[in-house]
Amino acid sequence: MMLIHCPFCGKRSESEFIYGGPVGADRPNPDAVSDAQWVEYLTVTPNPLGPVQEKWWHARGCGEWLTIWRDTRTHDIVEAPENAQ
Amino acid sequence: MSYNIHIQRQEISALFDLKGPSEALQEWAGKHLPVFPSHPNSKTIKDEMELSFIGRNHWILRAPLSQEQSLAGRLMPESCPSDISIVRISDTLTFFGISGPDAPEVMAIACPLDLHASVFLEGMITYSEVFGIKALVSHYDGGFEFAVEQSFGDMIVDYLNRAIT
Repeated sequence: MMLIHCPFCGKRSESEFIYGGPVGADRPNPDAVSDAQWVEYLTVTPNPLGPVQEKWWHARGCGEWLTIWRDTRTHDIVEAPENAQ
Repeated sequence: MSYNIHIQRQEISALFDLKGPSEALQEWAGKHLPVFPSHPNSKTIKDEMELSFIGRNHWILRAPLSQEQSLAGRLMPESCPSDISIVRISDTLTFFGISGPDAPEVMAIACPLDLHASVFLEGMITYSEVFGIKALVSHYDGGFEFAVEQSFGDMIVDYLNRAIT
């Protein structure tokens, strides 16, 4: 079980949250990118071996949406990497 | 194993769900409400009315059912400004009181919150889970209280009875 830090409620059990998917790239202007880049934006989700930024919804709590960094190797919630945007 | 607790299903309360910026809510209805709580998951009390801060820009007002009509008349939910929302939700939640020496033990079975008195202080109130169902949980002197959607009420009674026997 993970304890996820909600900015409103503090640390809460993972069971109170619903996973909202990884944080993807910003939506590009479809007229300014190639077809391959557009398809990559639409279909490829971040799946690194290591820290990944994820969205979570405190659905059975205060209703807040939040983002965390989770290390896919250890399942630990970690600090954002230094080069994170 | 049996537990030394007392479970009581409470009578319906008058409940109003308040959303929006606190400044706008205070401007519209502040004189009829307790002082707005400043800390997340806390509540303030005035004249039997409890105002609970249960989410960002989200409060729940609870009062005895006998005050429901007069409160609705003063809060005027139908004509409030568009940047706030006031909704009467009295019949949507059913409350349970859990008191007695073993109340923390039984609540620990039902709820993933850290209910220790040094973390979940007396007077705190928050949304969490009870037996996997979204519930409004509060800690008061001598026990706990939680509210779930009315339709889950009988099921929660059954779960509680199974948990304590």
